[in-house]
Formats: sequence, structure tokens, C-alpha cells
Amino acid sequence: MSGPADPRPPAGVLRVFRGDHPAGPLHEEPEAASPDPAGHGAELFLSVDAEGRVTAYNGHVDLGTGIGTALAQIVAEELDVALDAVTVVLGHTGRTPNQGATIASETVQVTAVPLRRAAAQARRHLVALAAAALDVPVADLAVEDGIVRRPGANAAVGYGELLRGRRIHLRLDEAGAVKPAAEHRLVGRSVPRRDIPAKATGAFTYVHDVRVEGMLHGRVVRPPYAGLDHGPFVGRSLVAVDESSVADVPGVVAVVVLGDFVGVVAEREEQAGRAAEALVTRWRGFAPGRDPGAGEAALRDNPSTPRVLLDRGDVAGGLAGAATPMRRTYTWPYQLHGSIGPSCSVADVRPDGITLWSGTQNPLMLRADIARLTGVAEDRIAIVRHEAAGCYGRNCADDVGADAVLLSRAVGRPVRVQLTREQEHLWEPKGTAQVMDVAGGLTAEGAPAAYDFETRYPSNGAPTLALLLTGIAEPVPQVFEMGDRTAVPPYDYADARVTVHDMPPIARASWIRGVSALPNSFAHESFIDELATAAGVDPVEYRLRHLSDARAVDLVRAVADRAGWQPHAVPQTLPADGDWLRGRGFAYAVYVHGKFPGTAAAWSAWVADVAVNRASGEVAVERIVVGQDSGLMINPAGVEHQIHGNVVQSTSRVLHEAVPFEGGLPAARDWGAYPILTFAQLPAIDVVTMDRPEEPPLGVGESASVPSAAAIANAIFDATGVRFREPPFTAERVRAALNPLPGPEAAGPAAAKPTARRRWRPRLAPALLAAGAATLGALAAACLPLRSAIPAVPRPDPAAFSAATIARGRLAAALGGCAVCHAGPSGTGLAGGRAIHTPFGTVFASNISPDAEAGIGAWSYPAFARAMQEGVSRDGRNLYPAHPYTSFARAPEAEIQALYAFLMAEPAEAQVPPPTRLAAPFGERRMMRLWNWLFLRGGPPAPDPARSAAWNRGRDLVEGLGHCSACHSPRNALGAERGGALHLAGGTVDGWDAPALAGLAAAPVPWTADALHAYLSTGHDPAHGVAAGPMAAVVRSLAALPDADRRAMAEYLAALQAPAAVAPESRAAALLAAAAAEPQGAPALGRQIYRGACAACHEADGPTLFGVRPALALNTSLHAARPDNLVRVVLEGLMDPAHPDLGTMPAFGRVYSDGQVAALLRYLRTRFAPDAPAWTDLDAAVARVRAALDAPRDPAIVEFPSD
Amino acid sequence: MAPTSTAPESGTITLEVNGTAVAFARPGTVALLDLLRNDLGLNGAKYGCGLGQCGACTVLVDGVPARACILPLAVARGRRVTTLEGLASAPGLHPVQQAFVDAQAAQCGYCLNGMILTTVALLARNPSPGEAEIRRELSGNLCRCGTHVEILKAVRRAAELMGSSGDAGADAGRRP
Repeated sequence: MSGPADPRPPAGVLRVFRGDHPAGPLHEEPEAASPDPAGHGAELFLSVDAEGRVTAYNGHVDLGTGIGTALAQIVAEELDVALDAVTVVLGHTGRTPNQGATIASETVQVTAVPLRRAAAQARRHLVALAAAALDVPVADLAVEDGIVRRPGANAAVGYGELLRGRRIHLRLDEAGAVKPAAEHRLVGRSVPRRDIPAKATGAFTYVHDVRVEGMLHGRVVRPPYAGLDHGPFVGRSLVAVDESSVADVPGVVAVVVLGDFVGVVAEREEQAGRAAEALVTRWRGFAPGRDPGAGEAALRDNPSTPRVLLDRGDVAGGLAGAATPMRRTYTWPYQLHGSIGPSCSVADVRPDGITLWSGTQNPLMLRADIARLTGVAEDRIAIVRHEAAGCYGRNCADDVGADAVLLSRAVGRPVRVQLTREQEHLWEPKGTAQVMDVAGGLTAEGAPAAYDFETRYPSNGAPTLALLLTGIAEPVPQVFEMGDRTAVPPYDYADARVTVHDMPPIARASWIRGVSALPNSFAHESFIDELATAAGVDPVEYRLRHLSDARAVDLVRAVADRAGWQPHAVPQTLPADGDWLRGRGFAYAVYVHGKFPGTAAAWSAWVADVAVNRASGEVAVERIVVGQDSGLMINPAGVEHQIHGNVVQSTSRVLHEAVPFEGGLPAARDWGAYPILTFAQLPAIDVVTMDRPEEPPLGVGESASVPSAAAIANAIFDATGVRFREPPFTAERVRAALNPLPGPEAAGPAAAKPTARRRWRPRLAPALLAAGAATLGALAAACLPLRSAIPAVPRPDPAAFSAATIARGRLAAALGGCAVCHAGPSGTGLAGGRAIHTPFGTVFASNISPDAEAGIGAWSYPAFARAMQEGVSRDGRNLYPAHPYTSFARAPEAEIQALYAFLMAEPAEAQVPPPTRLAAPFGERRMMRLWNWLFLRGGPPAPDPARSAAWNRGRDLVEGLGHCSACHSPRNALGAERGGALHLAGGTVDGWDAPALAGLAAAPVPWTADALHAYLSTGHDPAHGVAAGPMAAVVRSLAALPDADRRAMAEYLAALQAPAAVAPESRAAALLAAAAAEPQGAPALGRQIYRGACAACHEADGPTLFGVRPALALNTSLHAARPDNLVRVVLEGLMDPAHPDLGTMPAFGRVYSDGQVAALLRYLRTRFAPDAPAWTDLDAAVARVRAALDAPRDPAIVEFPSD
Repeated sequence: MAPTSTAPESGTITLEVNGTAVAFARPGTVALLDLLRNDLGLNGAKYGCGLGQCGACTVLVDGVPARACILPLAVARGRRVTTLEGLASAPGLHPVQQAFVDAQAAQCGYCLNGMILTTVALLARNPSPGEAEIRRELSGNLCRCGTHVEILKAVRRAAELMGSSGDAGADAGRRP
């Protein structure tokens, strides 16, 4: 509820502050005197104004938990005012007390305490004033809604009235009395959160929504050492930034470079985004330190300092005397906070100071960082805190704030910086990995023998990135002592030792919900379950035997009772349901936070019911009974909501979440590579809250997470009899332990062999040409007649052509797709310039607008017809067959004439495209004369009276101006289309495979005339997929044709086919059915990426979304011999669809590594084309296709020189 | 890549946003999300992933949920767009918004936009969806706070409210 500025207080106020005030602890000043106790160095907690309005100040911030509502309840309760009368101001430098970072769930438990006392103290003072005013003893007065009166009497006075003309300052009485719980009327009652209506209507101002006058937009470009914050390369790796690479991006205001900090500023957000993607940067190579991906080994290898927290009894003796010694290791992975909104900030750096709008967890720490970054004194820096997406710890909020300050300072205007999803994922200070070792065992009587616990926690300083990138902060690892949360086990182990190995960070890390307490409790609560099983005792019973904390015992019993816990001493007592094994697990923990020995927050216990599929390894958490003793609950609904959130989020972490690393760097840039729990996987949640209104309120923001991992692991053990000691408990991990399968490579169908055609063509063609070029060129020059220039003519007057002819020519141009190649740089017109990549070099499309100089305005019709039919320019030079004149030569003459009329009637454009200069020997155009002699067969074919008119029309369209064969026929070594049986037998264009139009009956689903018609008309046929790449442009162009023409093309193409062996409908149904179920042993990483990134739009039963839902089982590219088309679509996306109704697909080239794309394709092929042979060498195929694209995967990783 | 395109670099693009025709001279490649937030000041749709994976940017396009972060203006051209701000006739709440308030179905609330708009479209298609259908339709909307329980409750509550108000068959995204 940090919100707008306070209204100017009306005359009269009462304030409660903490700290020294020169006028003394209690004083009254004249109304005109100094208004602000903070001006005296004191901290303001509460004010009541002359209208009876109350403002409460708290140094913490709302991280998405609704804490403002609970604080308002506390204040309204103590003051006896209406809830609506209270405004809460949260974490704002300069206006709220310094109460440290919002961590450890301590807002209600710790920082609300002085606020509550301030409210109670204010009430006492106000009631005393009322007693004097009404001349009634204090004891006889009561307060309701801020009105003080003697019950039953008419005389009454309101708080506001009492304060009129007065200015009262009270120094906080830290020991003052507060209202007993029995008198509570607001606290302990569920009240609706105050922020939700605005959030439900879009009226709420998150930090992402802050806009200030004159604001520009910024993006940062991060270094290649993603997610690392120490090492000699940090801040010292940038080699160069090529500003010319963004010269053509409109709106760019500045490129800002400071050490390794790189950012761009632009007028508009999309311009900043485009510039950041386009900016070419070069970086030195670097050697990451320990590989965080090495998990347990990385932590054991990390230097550490032991810190013994507890050493009780005789641990060595106990271990030596154990009848059943047990040593166990439990491992925790790196995890993401995973805020749904990537961090954002707005900064305004002015000569007189800095204002920073931020979603930070700790405004004061951020202010100190900004002062250090800029040299501006802290008192000239204001941090205005706004809510952001929930963060559950520290995300990139501070980083982006500092980024915004640097960019604003560089341009002298306010700048808003929005991190991308990839940046938030890669760079957020992750929840760290952790390793816990337990040595213990059982005595002969089955009691715990001893408990020797060691935990390794790489610390989490995570300095604000801009300080490191600019070189202001040294990139040296810092050791923080935070591995000790709930490190001491809750059980009465007589001989116990607890050691924390404090160690520097490996990957950049910071606290995340539950901090080290969740992993530590995973070990404690797994181990006691293991003890119970070894002792042959029910796990709940075993815990109770060794638990002496009365509130813990009550909670454990209450939760077990609610869950209907059936005592059992061995696993697998619940009946299985087919492949689904069922189990229940218990865990209990109290979250101890803060510096050791710390403070205990709420107690929590879980009973988890799971189902484990013994074949697939999938774990379904079906029901959680969760109990919590939170002491006094300020807002019980809020507490229950926090418990739900903790259960869902921690279940997600335990089942699904681990940051993948590649080469020592984090490799999750999206929700495909880092999946979180969805609605489909939601367990039923039953909450048990203990009724303790007389006990102090305890933090509830994290406690219910802490038992999660152990409860689920214990349940999986109960279901399977197998103990899992390393989350996440993914299907493949569980399957590998339960039911090892052969690897997918071994189990899959035989690998495809690349076809001979594709192997030799690219190699042989240039070689043959190079060898024979001189000879051929000379031969051509010697043998074949020279072509003369055709004289220039004045541009024909468009009026000379009938409207009907021009209209017909427009259709001819659409059919021919002239603009597909000849459009100008803006994507419209006919000014040419597009680069067409051929095996022989790059050909630039010419200007075919009727400009006399740059275009074809001076061309007579015979010159135009010669170019179209013979491939000779007006000046007599030969054209390259990138201009498909071999097809156009087969078009009816009338079409060429109409096309000429149309082009001459278009606007003239004077741009001159780049000249085509193929390297020798291909630069010799005369050679094309021989080529034409060999390959050009002119003339439209005679009509075939045996065929329908539609077929004949279709042939003219397909084989003539439509020039389908230019892409869909293979070409020989000299780049000529192959004819005969190979006509329309499939070709390649611009790296895309163009399928065989003559072999469509052999497609996964045989094409029909109707399907072809649908595809040519809309760019989509449900049984084959969506037009991509050059075909999307073709479909857009064909849209101008009369439908009868597209129908005729479809009819002609359908008639090329041999009769299909199977009915298309039954074949499609069979393919869909085969792909409906998850195949056994499907590649796990690929499946995970598919589920996170693809399934919503491609899975048959996905959510209803705009656009078509292409069924991958029927997709042509998935069944193709080569993966190239599919790789290309995944990397580039389909943001420019053939028809707008199709919707779009984003590009994943910047999101996934080659290995991730390969893993995805391996899964897609296995599941959706199970009859097709596996693609071989997918990693290389992805690398090959990526290398051919214009844009590199990540602009930050352009070059790694070896120095 | 292809020069002819649904996304030419220039020209005025017209579409209908919350019942009002708007026209902007912007490249067709600009995401609808950027236009809504930065040109129209409609903050309901949020940037979450830019990949259509999380649903925070959801708007209704001709009544169907769409991810505004991957919807270029060239595709949105000429269509009817409804945002969170356009659901209710001022000053009240749309029944689905009311249901989310009633169920207290937000923690940080960043995903709320997508949850509400997806629910509006769902209930327009099926006024009384079953649990499986609700979960399926929301399966493309991520929530990190773990508010799923309250959100499901809100959807059921919305179905009740709309059923009782006789509004159940209302065209998704139409202003009442």
C-alpha cells in the first residue's frame, strides 16, 4: 500500500516517533511549528490528523503478500478506528522508518511490533485528551470508529476534533501495553485485501506501470558470463561495441558503455528492444570457475570454513556405538525465484538528485548502492517503492534500478528499463544449491544413536550488478553466514552436533523462500523418516517420541488426525491403482530465521499424498494436508492464502525445478527450460490452523514451504520403497531409479540416412563449375550469338493500357510473386534490393518499378518479354536464373503483356539496388548463354483437350508465372531445374527444403485437391500444417488471385499424384492417435521444453487461444527426412504469418541453446512421427541452420578471442 | 525475411480497443502489448515472457484470448481488442472481476490480468465449465505466487455470478 503522497495534513496532528527529539519525549508545539519529527532525526511510525485519518509507516515493503492490509488491521485495532481510516505507507526512503530488508517473513512478527505499540500509545493519549475535554474519567470512556464517549451518554468527541489546532509529538514507548486478544474485533478477523480491486481492473500502478514526463526506454545488453558475479573477468571483458550495428534502428538515443555495462536508450520501448537485440558487442573469452552444474561435487570442492552451531553430548561415542549406523547425503539444486514479471525500474537522474522508482526488497540498501554507483549523497537519492511481480526473495529488482540510473545519467532524461525474460532468468541471484550430510543411526533399542549434521551453503551476497559491471565493486566472492536457518534439528537427539560450512558463492545467488531452512529440513525430516523405517516404527509416532516442544506436538497430532494418518511401519501399505503406486509422507519443521540462533516463525507440518507411476516415473502430488501454528493470526484469510501459496510454490520447486547449467553457465532462459507447476498439476490443499490468539503473531510468509520436500520424498518412499535424496523428483529421475529403460537413441528406430542428392549437390556444384568455368565461358562466348541491347523507349503512358489489362497484370504479378523478391527495403513497392542467397553467391533483386534510370521505365515490351522469356536484360546482358525465366517462358503471352502494363502503371522508384557481383567464375554473365542453350526450353504448352479447363488453367499458373518448380524442383550442378521424373520432386531455397509437389501422395497424410486449395488460400491445412518461410510470402501473394485460380492450381497439383494408398482421413486419425499418448522413454529435456514452450498452442487439448492449433503429428516438417525446416521455424518463429488469422509463433533462437533445440526436436520426432527414422546428428543440424541465419543466438556472444 | 509481408514498415494501423477505434502510424511488427501499454496507457496487460508462455499479457482479440506480446500489429489490424480495463462498464466491476475480488484471488496480482480475461472468454463459451475444463483453459497462464486455489474458486464464483445475472451467454469482451 505504498502509495500516493500524504495529503497535506489539516490543522492539527498527533505523531508517534522513535528516536531523540530535541523537544523531549512528549511535547506539544504550536500548530505553526516544525511539522516533521523526521527532520529532527527521529523516525515516524504513526500520525493521526485533525480529520481523524491515520497514517501508519512501516519500513518493509509488500512483496505480493498483502502485508499492507494486515498492518492496517493492527493499527485500526489498537486505535479503535475503522479499517478504512488507516493508510499504510511502506518502504520509502525518507518517509518510513529504517527497518531493514523485507526478509525472513518478519514484517508482522517483528517490524509491526513498534507500529502496534505506537497505535496503542496514540489511543491512550487521545483518550486522555477526551477525558479532559468531556470531563469524564478515562476509565469510563470507550472508543468506537475514532469517536470517544462514555457508553450510554450523548457527549462524545472524535480523534480529529481533539487534535484541531494541536501538534502533539509522542516518543514511542517500546514497552507500552497493547490490547489483549480477548478484546480484538478487527485483528483475527478475515478482511479482504485492499489492493485487489485495483489489481483486478488494471488501475493498480506496479513499478512496471510507472511513467514520468519525458521518459525514454532502455534495455541492457548483459555480458556472456551469465549469472556469475565473481572472477577476474567480471567487469573486464568487453572488447568493443559496434554502434553502427544499430544505426538503422529508429529512435535510438544513446548506446551507453561503462566497463562491462552496456545499455541502449531509445524513444520507444520496442525500439530499445530492437536495438538491444541488434547491437553487436565483442567480449573476451573467460573461464568460469567451479561448474554449478556439478551439484554436490561443486559444493564439496568449494573452499569452506566450518562453524559449529551445536555440540551436545558425545557424538563420536554415539556414532561408534550405533547398532545400525546410517550416513546419508541430501542435495538441493539451484532454483529460480521466477518472478512472473521480469524486473523493471524508472530512474530520473537530475543535477539536484536522483529519484528511482523501484520494486526493491530493500530501499535503503539500494539507495546506498546507488550512492556508491554515482557518487551522489544518499540524502539526495529518493527510492520510490512500488509493488512488482512477487519475488519470494531477491530477484533482479535492485540490478535493474542501478541500470536505469546509469542510463538516465547518460542521457539526462528519465529512463525506464525493463529486463527481458531471458535476462531475469539468467542473471537473477538464484536460490543456491546446498548439500547436507547426516551421520547417525539407531541404537539396539531403535532409538536415534547420535546426530552429526553438516550443511554446505554457498553464500549469497550478490552485489548489485551495475557495481560489478562498471568495476566500482571488486568481483571477489563474499562469504555470508546464511546456511544456519533451521540447521539445528527439532528432535531431542542426546548426542548432536551441527556444523555449517560457510563458503563463497559459486553461481550468483541470494535468499529465496525458506533460505537454507528448507534444504536443511529436507535432510532432518528425511533422515528421521529413514530412522523410523529402520526402527520399524510409524514415522509420525517416531517423531512424537523425540519431540518435546508442546506446540510442535500439538501441531503434529492435529495434522496427522486431519489427514486420517494410518500408522504404518513399512512402505507400500496403500493399494496401487494399475501403474500408479500410492504413498503418504509426513514432515514437520519450524522456520528459524535471522542470524543464528535466530528467531522461530510459525510451526508447520505436512501430510503429502502422492501417486507415482511405476512405468513413467511421473509423480503426482494429489493432496496436501498442511497445518500451521502462527500464534495470533492478524488476518486468518491472509494466513491461509500464504499457506496455499507456499504449498503450491514449494511443491513446484520439489517436483520440477532445477536450474540447468551448460558450460558452467545457467541455461534456462524461459519457462520451457525452467518449468513451474501449472493448474493441471495442482494438489488439493487442506489447511489446519492452530487457534492461538493469545500468543504473539508469527511470520507466515515462508513456514509452510519448509516441510515440503521431505513430506513429498517421504511419500514417494512410502509409495515405491525407494528413497530419493535430491530434488526435483522429476519423472526421469524417479523412472531411472524404479524402472531403468534403455536410452532413447538405442530404443528409437534406425537412423535416417541423408539422401544422396543432398549430399553431393552442394559440394559438387561449385567444384564442377570452378573446374570448367573458364572453358565453358570461352565456349559460350565463342559459340553462341551475342544478344544486342534493345533501344530505350520513353516510359509508356499507363493510360495506353486498359484498366482490365492492368487488373489482369496485377493478378499476374501476384501469381508470379514479383514483390516477394523485388519489393524495396521497406517491404513495399518494387524498388528491389533483396539479397537472394544461391549456391553461386548472392544475387540482389533488381528494381522493376517504371523508373527510367533505376528501374524498367525505359524498357519496351519486347525488351520486357525477352527478359521474362529468355533471361536477357534490355542492355543485352544475361540475367541469372534466380529470376525464374525458365518458368516464365512457359506462361501465356497475354499474361506477360498484362504484367508489363501493370508494372508500367505502378509508381516509379529511384532507389538503385546493390549490384550483383558473384565471385569468379560466376561473375561471368556470358556463361549464361551456354546455360540457356542447355536448359532454357521456351514456349507455353498447348492446351490438353483431354483435361478439364481447370487443369489446363492450373498448369499455366503452376508451371508458368507461378514458377512453383523454381523452389520445388531439384537443381543440377549448374543450378538448372531438373526435369522429367525430377520435375517438382522437391528442392531447396534459402536454406528451406521445398517439399516434392509431385510426391504429395507420399506425404504423411496424402494431400487432396481440397487440402491444397485450403493451404494455398489460407497458408494452413489442418492435416499438414502452416506455411512458413518463403511459402508464407507466396500464400500472401496468391491471396490476390480469384479463388478459381487457386482451385485450379490445387486441381493440377492433385492430378500429379499417384493414387494415395490410404485414405487421408484414416491416415490422419492414425497419426493423431499414435501421438496422443506420451511414448515410453521419450527424451526428458525435450518433453519438458515442449510442455513449457509449445504445448499451449500445439497440444490437442490445450487452452483456447487466438490463431490455429497446428497438430504436430500431422506436420510435414516433423515427418521430413531432414530436420532443417523445423529447426528453422523453431529458431526464427513465424511472426509474419501467411494469413493474420493463423496467429504467430515466437522465435526461440535466442532462448534455447543448440543442445536444447536438438533435445526438443528429438522429443517431437519420437512422439509425433514415431514411424519416421530418428534424425541423426541433430546438434550439428541445429548449429548448421543457426549459422546460416542472419542473427546470432545472442548478441553478447559474438566472439570469444582466446586471449 | 520476406519483403512482402503482413508487416510493412509503415502505414497507419487501425483497430478497435475497448470499443473505440484507434489508429497509429506504427510498424506492423510492433507488438500489440507495446501499443496498449505505451501508446494507450492501458496497463492491465503485463509483459511477462515475450514468448507467449506465461499469459500475463493476455487480451481478447475478437473475443478469443491472445498473447499480446507475440501479436504484431499487422495481425491485430482491424480486429476488436478487449483489455482488462475494457471489461467493465464504468465504474463497476465485470462479474468476473468481482468474482476474483470476492475470492481474493491474487497475491502479487501480476498474472491476474491473464487469469481474468481467460475466464471471461471461457465463460462466454461455456457458462458452467467443469473443473477439468477450467484447469485446461488456464493451463497456459502461469502463477508463481501459488494462488491457484483461489483462482479456481474465483472462476467458479464468476460462473455463479454470471449465471445469476443472466449474463452468461454474453459475448466475451463486449462491454455490457
